[in-house]
Amino acid sequence: MSTEPALMTLTAVAKAIADKQLSSHEVTRACLHRIAQWQPHLNAFMAIEAEAALKAADEADAALAKGDNRGVLHGVPLAHKDMYYDAGKVVTCGSLIRRDFVATTTSTALQRLKDAGSIRLGSLQMAEFAYGPTGHNAHYGAVRNPWAREHITGGSSSGSGSAVAARLTFAALGSDTGGSIRMPAHFCGVTGLKTTYGRVSRAGAMPLSQSLDTVGPLAQTVEDCALLLGLMAGADPEDLTASSAPVPDYMAATMASIKGLKIGVPTSFYVDDLDPDVARILDETIAVLKREGADIVKVELPDQRQLSAASQIVIAVEATAFHKRWLIERPQDYGPQVLMRLQNAFAIPGVTYLEAMRWRGAALAAHVAATSKVDAVIAPVAPIPAPTIAESDVGNTPGAEAVIQRLTRFTRPVNYLGLPSLAIPSGFAKSRLPVAMQLIGRSFDEATLLTIGAAFQRATDFHAKVPETPGTSP
Amino acid sequence: MSRPSPKAIKAMADVAGVPIDAATSQRVSESIGPAFEGFAPIAGTLPFDLEPASFLLMQLAKVSK
Repeated sequence: MSTEPALMTLTAVAKAIADKQLSSHEVTRACLHRIAQWQPHLNAFMAIEAEAALKAADEADAALAKGDNRGVLHGVPLAHKDMYYDAGKVVTCGSLIRRDFVATTTSTALQRLKDAGSIRLGSLQMAEFAYGPTGHNAHYGAVRNPWAREHITGGSSSGSGSAVAARLTFAALGSDTGGSIRMPAHFCGVTGLKTTYGRVSRAGAMPLSQSLDTVGPLAQTVEDCALLLGLMAGADPEDLTASSAPVPDYMAATMASIKGLKIGVPTSFYVDDLDPDVARILDETIAVLKREGADIVKVELPDQRQLSAASQIVIAVEATAFHKRWLIERPQDYGPQVLMRLQNAFAIPGVTYLEAMRWRGAALAAHVAATSKVDAVIAPVAPIPAPTIAESDVGNTPGAEAVIQRLTRFTRPVNYLGLPSLAIPSGFAKSRLPVAMQLIGRSFDEATLLTIGAAFQRATDFHAKVPETPGTSP
Repeated sequence: MSRPSPKAIKAMADVAGVPIDAATSQRVSESIGPAFEGFAPIAGTLPFDLEPASFLLMQLAKVSK
């Protein structure tokens, strides 16, 4: 474990502050120092609130000195995707349209982290209205990958992936509607948890597709994700789609053994047409899990292409319905990629959308039947490591649309089924770009994924690798 | 179910009150076409008594187990 405060894990730094080994001021200053080093190279932050963060840190230190510990995140500075409403703060949603939008409420997920004592460092960049899988943003510029800055971060939680990878924040909220947490986790080499639909309240989070949107964390480790999920999960009177299903002890789950757990390896789709490095890392990840005591079995999944297609129909219609007023009044204020995606919905009849919604329960039942003998399914997050920013630039590069379609191939089916999926750093390609695998679980069974992911991280150190800080190479 | 033609897309956008030009309707047809084709085996095959809320029931059924 690093003793440099900004390089510590969320869990470790929270304990160090609580035990008064480090002050919140020291930790916040260390993060701000790192942000100053990296931000010109990454464009990961939308807003940096240095003065306010240090003031909040001093208040946290003063409170702790008086014995007033507000919670397990007392004095821990965090930054989140700029789509979580925070009363009194500008929340741009990565857009020009909301450049000056000041939230009047605070999102439930964010409030629960604040209630646990976290303080605000600023806000993180994202794809415009969370509607893009690469990290491009026509208004605020592309976010860059700390491992190779000409490569994409993945989106839409682009700033979250980039900032956690560069250790500018200990963790960050993202959102996942078609892969927007798992792809930045994969491309940037961090841990990301796409939660079960309904596990975490969406109240006060900018909507993209109300049937598919999920809230979740990106962090260094599985343990950090477990800590945040435990704080955020559960029913919410502000969001009646937030489930009242029991919230287990996720931190305890990270300490459980994986001996005897069955992990399914798909026989097709997720193993087809893989980049050689991704294929190799999938095999190596399976080997580690087997060595740690998991039983590895083959699973035949229902047709994932149909799930992906249904997912695209649902997200297209729901997103455009949210945006219709602005499409009429302010079409010129959208970036070209987002405007193009929003226009796609006009091709979809209402009956087709409702068929896609009606099929969802049956499709989930078929998936449950196909995976009834396993505790989780393992698959790559994407078939390739991060492409370059240029080769995924729709509108300026021929073939970029095909690249983007390929990126989301393995993530969309999970959103349609509403399942949880944990992306874990699993290795590096020969190009030195990170690669992650996703563990796909049963509805509301994040705990099993956290058990498997934590066991993998105890046996490997891919999650602990840190990209070289600019200007520090000999 | 077949992918909608650019002409049909242009008409639907007009009805929705967000007119698009011919080039845009052509692009939309090409962009959304694969989703239509991927979903075609399901469209028109679903049983009568199937509601969108069956998804939430299926999620909860797993929790209660």
